[in-house]
Amino acid sequence: MNLFAQAVPPPPSFWNAPHGSNELWLRIGIAFSLGLGLIVAFLFLPTKARKPIVATATFLAGGFWVLYYLWPTPEARGPRDIPEGFFEGVGFWISDAVPIVAGFANIINAFIIGLGIYSLIRVNIHRIKRGQKDWMFSALLIASLITMVVFGYWDWNMKKNDPTVVENWTFVQLTSDLLFDGMFQVMESAMFSIIAFFILSAAYRAFRIRSIEATILLAAALVVMLSLMGALVHWWDGQVSTMAGWESDHFANNFRLSEMANWISANLRTPGIRAIEFGVGLGALAMGLRLWLSLERGGINR
Amino acid sequence: MATNEPGTAPKSLGEKLTSIPKIVLYVILAVTASAALFPSVELPTKPSAATIDLFASLMSLPEGSTVIVQSDWTNSSRGESAGAMEALMRILIRKKVKFALMSVADPNAPRVARDALRRINLELEAAGETPYKKWEDYVELGYFPNAEGTGNAMAENLRTAWAGKKDQGPNGMTDVFQSPVLQDIQRIENVQMMINIHASDTLNRLIERIGRRCPLASMCTGVMGPETLVYYTSKQIVGASVGLNGVVELESLMERGIDPDISDKDAQDLKNPVQAKGRPKIEGFTGKKNYARGMQYYLSLHSALTLMILAVVIGNIGTFLSRRKSA
Repeated sequence: MNLFAQAVPPPPSFWNAPHGSNELWLRIGIAFSLGLGLIVAFLFLPTKARKPIVATATFLAGGFWVLYYLWPTPEARGPRDIPEGFFEGVGFWISDAVPIVAGFANIINAFIIGLGIYSLIRVNIHRIKRGQKDWMFSALLIASLITMVVFGYWDWNMKKNDPTVVENWTFVQLTSDLLFDGMFQVMESAMFSIIAFFILSAAYRAFRIRSIEATILLAAALVVMLSLMGALVHWWDGQVSTMAGWESDHFANNFRLSEMANWISANLRTPGIRAIEFGVGLGALAMGLRLWLSLERGGINR
Repeated sequence: MATNEPGTAPKSLGEKLTSIPKIVLYVILAVTASAALFPSVELPTKPSAATIDLFASLMSLPEGSTVIVQSDWTNSSRGESAGAMEALMRILIRKKVKFALMSVADPNAPRVARDALRRINLELEAAGETPYKKWEDYVELGYFPNAEGTGNAMAENLRTAWAGKKDQGPNGMTDVFQSPVLQDIQRIENVQMMINIHASDTLNRLIERIGRRCPLASMCTGVMGPETLVYYTSKQIVGASVGLNGVVELESLMERGIDPDISDKDAQDLKNPVQAKGRPKIEGFTGKKNYARGMQYYLSLHSALTLMILAVVIGNIGTFLSRRKSA
């Protein structure tokens, strides 16, 4: 039995059915009902019984990826390549399984988005029902959510079924564009542009020469900020090169703004970031191990 | 006898310089940054090695080949990423390189990318040129909600990773692997390059998973620049354009081209190619629209940075005067 039979074209098996067929929908329905049943059954289990199930599922899910990174898998594999022996067989199996497991992960992530929407609706409807403070914002949020979903899906469906809709703008398309491009996108840009004001205010109030370290930081920051102004870099570097008589190995060339900024980037910033990333990587590894082995406290391990 | 109350004593110059009200700074920033958007000026720039390498790599793509554009930006970083996306689209279209468009960072990203491509197509139509056609020249794969899993799957088997993905073909929604863009692509190694336009750390996911199998390039925001350049210096990506500065550098390279043999002095003239030692000579797209959104915002960046430097200098002068007075 080939569990990973989703290759193109997929050979018919218990695990698949023709795209869009009633048979496929029936199987999806059965799988969904079974999944829902499992979740409900899980909810009725006592906490002590849940823990080993969650730990086993976490270990198996994490174990697959650990195996993927540690077990040799085929490189540049062709469609007719056949594994030789146990080790290559496992490598081929892992290689075949990765897209399928990644598909599971994609679906779970999509469900997480759905869960977020459900939680948002639940909290805000609760607030509206109780007439809590600022309930009108909750009502606006729910109305915006529904409007965006309805018009977004409607528009997508029309375009999917009739590509000429792109050329003939309808009420649905206009509304969808107004909501997404005319409102949502503009508000998103506006919200993030506010950061510039805070950065300016913070730089003015906090960037003061109070110690040797602060002075070094300020000098480096000034060089980097100046190096981001192309017109200034062009003029400054031109002046320095003129002073150096346009000789490429002249000492004065070290004082080109671009050279100073590159030196700071290559010798101070990059090693610093590498060190931070290395530390973060080690921390992530430790955290990953704790989660994989269900040693982390919290959630079901409380 | 009149006495000065502590709260009513006139402020010294130092105190005044250190206590400029926030609202004054905000108004000055809003006015200078906005006003700078209107004049149409072409400011000079000196392209960095990372941007030159990105340009050289893009220009070396064979005509008719396929690349993947992973568009991981939304309008929150429009100031930088929209210019990057548009410059990339101009290069790919002029080089007749086909591309598959996908996103992993944000569900809004595919539509934002689609809008950017529509703008470029309208620009082409206005210039009497043929717009880039969906299905024949590019396909949209949409949003993948799990960057890590998607990257692993693409590295192992691109056909299975994208199985079931459909786009609008001549006969309705059709499997993307039947399109001229992807019909010859069997695995990730067949893709000429993968370019990530990003405002978060999605590039790391690609480097970890796909980096060994396909050349990667980055077009990131200024905030992501320092982290991204680490991978450029270790040669894990073929090139990078960082922030708005990177976009303007790329536009400048598109206009001027690069020449390894040009002298420092000649390269200072903006009509001549940019000096790029150790790289091949590449002509720019002379006579085409090269300076666009990046250059449009560049004066604003200059004015905002000048204001910030001035604010820092004024604050420090104020602190210095205040300390001297109290000493």
